[in-house]
Amino acid sequence: MSIFKTLKNGAAAAASSYKLILFVWITILVLVMAVGFPLRSFLNAMFGNSLVVERLNNGFDIGLAGDFGKPFGALMAAASAGTLLAGTAGFFIMTFFAGGFFRRYSLAWGGLKVSDFLRASAGNFIPFLKIALLMMLITGAYTFIIVGIPGIVAMMVSGSQLPTGKVLYLFYVLWALGMPVWLFVADASRRWIAATGSRKVLRALGAGFRAMKERFWLSYGTVLAVLVINTAAVLAIFWFAGNATPDRSLAVFLFFAATQLLFILRLFMKAWRYASVCEAVK
Amino acid sequence: MRRILVVFLCLLPFTAVGQIIVDKPLSDRLTGYDIDVTFDPEAHTVTGLMTAWWVNNSSMPVGEAMMHMYLNAFSSNQSTFASRGRWSAAGDDGWGWVKILSMKDGRGNDLSDSCSYVSPDDGNRNDKTVLRISLPEPVAPGDTLVLTIDFASKLPSPIQRTGYEDDFHFVAQWFPKFGVYETAGMRQREADGWNCHQFHPNSEFYSNHSVYNVSVIMPSEFVTGSGGRLIEEIDLGEDHKKVIWRAEDIVDFAWTAWPGYKVRTRKWNNVDITFLTSETGLSKAENHLDAVVYALEYLGERVGPYPWPHLTFVDPPLSGSGAGGMEYTTLFTTMGGGAVPSFLRMPEMVTIHEFGHAYFMGILASNEFEEPWLDEGVNSYWEQRIVDHYYGAGYGLLKLPFLKMSDTDQGRMSYITSPSRTIATNDLPSWMYPHGTYSMMSYNKTATWLHTLEGIIGTETMDNVFREYYHRWAFHHPSGRDFIAAVNDVVRSEHGDRFGENMNWFFDEVLYGSGECDYRVSGITSNKIRSYSGVVDGDSVSYARGDRKSDTLYLSRVSIERLGDVRLPVEVLVRFDNGEEVLETWDGKATYRDFEYTGARRVVWAKLDPYDKIDMDVNRINNSFTLDPAHTVARRMLNKYMLLMQMIISIFTL
Repeated sequence: MSIFKTLKNGAAAAASSYKLILFVWITILVLVMAVGFPLRSFLNAMFGNSLVVERLNNGFDIGLAGDFGKPFGALMAAASAGTLLAGTAGFFIMTFFAGGFFRRYSLAWGGLKVSDFLRASAGNFIPFLKIALLMMLITGAYTFIIVGIPGIVAMMVSGSQLPTGKVLYLFYVLWALGMPVWLFVADASRRWIAATGSRKVLRALGAGFRAMKERFWLSYGTVLAVLVINTAAVLAIFWFAGNATPDRSLAVFLFFAATQLLFILRLFMKAWRYASVCEAVK
Repeated sequence: MRRILVVFLCLLPFTAVGQIIVDKPLSDRLTGYDIDVTFDPEAHTVTGLMTAWWVNNSSMPVGEAMMHMYLNAFSSNQSTFASRGRWSAAGDDGWGWVKILSMKDGRGNDLSDSCSYVSPDDGNRNDKTVLRISLPEPVAPGDTLVLTIDFASKLPSPIQRTGYEDDFHFVAQWFPKFGVYETAGMRQREADGWNCHQFHPNSEFYSNHSVYNVSVIMPSEFVTGSGGRLIEEIDLGEDHKKVIWRAEDIVDFAWTAWPGYKVRTRKWNNVDITFLTSETGLSKAENHLDAVVYALEYLGERVGPYPWPHLTFVDPPLSGSGAGGMEYTTLFTTMGGGAVPSFLRMPEMVTIHEFGHAYFMGILASNEFEEPWLDEGVNSYWEQRIVDHYYGAGYGLLKLPFLKMSDTDQGRMSYITSPSRTIATNDLPSWMYPHGTYSMMSYNKTATWLHTLEGIIGTETMDNVFREYYHRWAFHHPSGRDFIAAVNDVVRSEHGDRFGENMNWFFDEVLYGSGECDYRVSGITSNKIRSYSGVVDGDSVSYARGDRKSDTLYLSRVSIERLGDVRLPVEVLVRFDNGEEVLETWDGKATYRDFEYTGARRVVWAKLDPYDKIDMDVNRINNSFTLDPAHTVARRMLNKYMLLMQMIISIFTL
């Protein structure tokens, strides 16, 4: 099977699971709203009847932070704690739902009810969590070896505050080119668990590496292609969100709708990677 | 006549090379130094001979001399600098010191036994940074004291302003240097005397404008820079060279040597700019050079000309970062190492700030020890103006699509967020600011009230104030009172009595007072005026306007309060529902003021200080009030926050 066909089939599988994607979106939205809405109320209370909000129309003016006084510190503390909590909860939730997605994509063509999706998610959660933690360790070590050590050496040699230099760009490129390998192994391992029902994580990782070895170029090329498109999409999303400054009520609502559509797109692309890997190892 | 001849003959050896750098002396040149030394990078020492001279320009004989021995601040952890600044040597080899091996006067008298260390600031017996020399005979008015000093200096490590790290050396405060002999009346001084302070963690500059002829023998591999102009570099063979510099009319002479320096140069008008940096720092070399040119241009136009044809600045390597952010007039150090992203203009800000000291401390040689606000504060004010002018008003320091900050606001924020902002006045000596408020007070509070002064008297008048200050005091030693006199004279000549007889009231509030400034719009009301009806003295009077709506009258009231102690004139912009706007003014002295309007129009919002003239106001949130608050900004921020969270969750999970 060609890379293109794998990606195409993966996209079709991801698109057919739109209900599951929407379900995940709503769950994550509720989670971030639970943190975000109290922060908004806090912000409104701080601004009160002031017109100073005009200064925030073109980005947050840090100079205003001092004028808020102590409440700003409280806001930042609440935002930091909320972000950490939501981030941690989100990690578990996404790991949880990955179990359902892989189950869905490792099945023969066909749908998966939400109840079955949740059941599969629950069933795969523990081994998926172990794989996620293991892969975090592996990619962390990989990053340290490929980028960290050369960076430290470069800093020691050049006396600079940050690792810079043309040679280091080669290491960055090397790091980026290596990442699809780890992602594929992680995905193929999870697919193996979802397909076999086994809970043995190390065996799953072995299966992942084997799959990689058996169809290296297809596997690697598929994940690399998805990763490049994903990265471009993420950068575009951040650029849009960073630069958009809607200042009227309707525009703000449309901005909200647009940001959520973009996040749904992002979820779709994640599902696309899962489905494409499942296609590749079929 | 005889006295003039004596002075001339005494000075002849030191002026033999004539005017090399500037066409004619910029200063009185009461002191000068001829220094011949050898630099040993292995031992981190500088040893050699110095001939120093000082002219007694007072009307009284002077029986003693005082010299800075600032490298001794690093000789123990009990010095005033080390104990307060928590500096300690990196091992036994890290201590720094300067030793006088022998000292003779012009008549050959050995003064070695006439020297003693004194601690005029804090009485610390362990501090050996000020040397008193009892002279065998007083120096008569107009006469010159010539000292020939054999000395050895050992640089400290870790670097703090001066010192070494491996083969990087920044050599500052390295030789015995005269204090300033102040005559009565100078800087409001009552009697003649030496002004020679100890080396403190927060201040080190108050010296005469001097001439320096410096030659240093060092290994040839070292790339060097200094506050002087390079006169000659002589190859001595055996991998050694002799570097000869001359500097004119600067208050201190420092130099640096490191084999790893990369050099970039630029010429701006008649100024040769040299930039020394590390390999990695080269990527930002053009940014730093641009920043210096901006500062030269801006200060040249608004304060006065930069008078020297040379300027050297240094971005030290990471190992030497302790030398970063320092100023020696025609030599200064910046920071960044090429590692700071371009959306953050911190390195350029430091470059502009440290260059600015060529004016505020270098040309206008105020006393940093006693009036740090006149040095650091005034310089910070100009740094903020330059950064925000060239890199963008509102985002001069930081510019991202979703985040911004001006340099002016950065300084103001440091002041308004300090819980100790009202703890003391702004005119304390550097070492007497309580509770670690030195930086906040001397840099940022000063800059903030200078912006406020600019807001009140106008930018053009403010520029004229500094032109006048420069004109009166360039290459002299002004005090804060001298600066205020320049403000008073210029403001009065340009605005008459508009701000009162003088501006002393302003400085009493912001400089000599410790209060804070906070005005607020406490509320807006717009009430319909009811039909007039009632009983007066038994007569029934009624007046009915009827139910017509078109000519309904309202009584609108805008209530302003002064919450702080500082009283400044403020403006209030009031907007009505028909689009009209009225700009009110208030002297700001009472604790409150109500502005009332009767008519068919209603007030919809009011902005106090609408043009941000009063930077001193510690809370701008309460400076405005609207009856129709917009919540779209908070909603937009929430949307962005939620998307950011969602993206983080999706990116950091497999």
